[in-house]
Amino acid sequence: MPLPVPRPFQRPARGATRHVEVGGVRVPYELVVDPWPDPYLDLDAYDPDADLMPINWGPQHPSTHGVLRVKLFMDGEVCVKAVPYLGYLHRGVEKLCEKLSYAQVTPIVDKNDYVSPMMNELAINMAFEKLLGVEPPPRAQVIRTIFAEMQRVASHLLWLGTWAMDAGGALGGGATLFMYCFREREMILDLFEEVTGARFHYNTHTVGGNRHDLPGGWEEKAIRVLDHIESRLPEYEDFLRDNDIFLVRTRGVGRLDPLLAMEIGVSGPSLRASGVDHDRRRDAPYAAYDRVEVKVPVRDAGDALARYEVRMDEMRESIRIARELLQDVPAGPITALKPVKMPKAIKVATGRSAYVGIESPRGELGTFVIAQNERKTAHLPYRLKIRPPSFHAMALLPYLAPGATLSDIVVIAGSLDPILGEVDR
Amino acid sequence: MAVNESGQRFHHAVYEKFEAVANFPGLDLLFTTADKVLTWGSQNSLWAFPMATSCCGIEFMATAASRFDTERIGTFTRGTPRQCDVMVVAGTITVKMAPRVRKLWDMMPEPKWCIAMGSCAISGDFYRDIYSVVPGVDTFIPVDVYVPGCPPNPDALLLGFKRLQEKIQARREGRWVEPDKRPIDGMRVPSIPRIGAPDRLPVFDQAQLHNVLHMDPDGRMLRPDAPPMPRPPEEDPE
Repeated sequence: MPLPVPRPFQRPARGATRHVEVGGVRVPYELVVDPWPDPYLDLDAYDPDADLMPINWGPQHPSTHGVLRVKLFMDGEVCVKAVPYLGYLHRGVEKLCEKLSYAQVTPIVDKNDYVSPMMNELAINMAFEKLLGVEPPPRAQVIRTIFAEMQRVASHLLWLGTWAMDAGGALGGGATLFMYCFREREMILDLFEEVTGARFHYNTHTVGGNRHDLPGGWEEKAIRVLDHIESRLPEYEDFLRDNDIFLVRTRGVGRLDPLLAMEIGVSGPSLRASGVDHDRRRDAPYAAYDRVEVKVPVRDAGDALARYEVRMDEMRESIRIARELLQDVPAGPITALKPVKMPKAIKVATGRSAYVGIESPRGELGTFVIAQNERKTAHLPYRLKIRPPSFHAMALLPYLAPGATLSDIVVIAGSLDPILGEVDR
Repeated sequence: MAVNESGQRFHHAVYEKFEAVANFPGLDLLFTTADKVLTWGSQNSLWAFPMATSCCGIEFMATAASRFDTERIGTFTRGTPRQCDVMVVAGTITVKMAPRVRKLWDMMPEPKWCIAMGSCAISGDFYRDIYSVVPGVDTFIPVDVYVPGCPPNPDALLLGFKRLQEKIQARREGRWVEPDKRPIDGMRVPSIPRIGAPDRLPVFDQAQLHNVLHMDPDGRMLRPDAPPMPRPPEEDPE
């Protein structure tokens, strides 16, 4: 058996990229021909002269974005095998939700993807509405979409700041970009606080609509804030666009094969940076996305630089969508059902199930709910499964880390944007 | 080495090193002054170690970032336990994570303090009945200040740091400081008593130390060749 040789530091070829059709999807040719490294490399069969060094990265490490633990086997400075260990934040959310009624689940699932709580609430309540057959009124749909897009901007800002801090001084001087990104993120959190009363964990979506209506003058204020953030975005790009160190550290680092990405189930910006044009907001519109035109930014390179570019373009796109919707919020009620006072008020017919997927900042966030089979406990879900996008991004790490240097692995893991609360649940 | 009211071992570096000299008559004045300077320094430059596991970690980052800025009160965030004075436990601590938290706490040099940030770190919150969650971080490390909230606002965390500074100053002056209580009333008491509680058996501390010493680097809790874990004595069936 020939020994797998670690891939050298590769850069994508410059110039136009050829495309091939695979399974009805148009993907870049050069990424397809790149062989995948073996994630289950047998270390006993590896070159006996090599001095392999295991490095334990995490679970407490500032650049693991939480409590991820990865065991890295390094040959010199190049990684040959990476084994992620999960479960350091396993809180049994899915099991907990089986004990709670449909009205009580929303604040629990807020804590899954703790960088974008609005998305968790939206996904879970859309699944419950599908189970019940309730359609929220148009005002609630538009408010949900505005919240989702503003949350996407806030989430990407946090990602940019922490990723820049992980890569150290190369990306705009250590903590500088982190401080700038948090300055803008606070503005969005202030807007949310004005509506819901909480900076975090809003609990504003309910089954059949929203709990809080927009206060007077909020739309104009939100448009002003979004304009301000859009004017700040070139400032961040000035840090990075012409920065040679940044380009060297991200261009060609962590090249993701679109076929591998589709096989593992990666979605969101990481998939779009590999040339696959897929976005649930445009392909399967939910909430009020059928009212606006969604342009999906796509890059072909598939490396960390492309993921950064996709996220920056997505921020601009989200600001545009939110602004367009804010200019014309329809009047009317914000809930289709009466406000729920009792937890047992919502009852679902027996033997039903529903799956709903939305486009969260990290990819497709899905919720699968099965209703109870007995009338007596019809207010409780029988089974609730959450399909987190970060979990699939974490499955990529054993494929992307071999062949990269230790410093590159920090950049690669950061560019996938994993949230460990969502991975372990 | 002394044990204070909340069960925390209280250790003063200057006094320990020069215990014989400090008892020499006439030198008290010098060491009192040094003690004063050291306390002033440590309370105004609390280096915080973020034991950030989940949502509260994001709010801790917001507190350390541009708008709230903990460096105004001298609290600087550092990613390593060996250089820090305060451990801020921000987020849910699971059974798998708890030995690591204990190990990081043991790595920190004395004098050290702990802030439990958020309801998960205080009591486990609504996850406290889940099989994998530790019901409160004070079941295995001593906590000085509790900051309630889910997650606490940055203002609340800043207030927690100020409260810790007051406690450090009061301890130097020899004033009585009421030990902080869990800010949740009517909550179920955890099955393992808190550190410092009179009914807590020493075997719990031994078991935690055993976990840390014989942890398997491959991800399981204990190494296969580890000696048997100390168990609490079995009660008489009568």
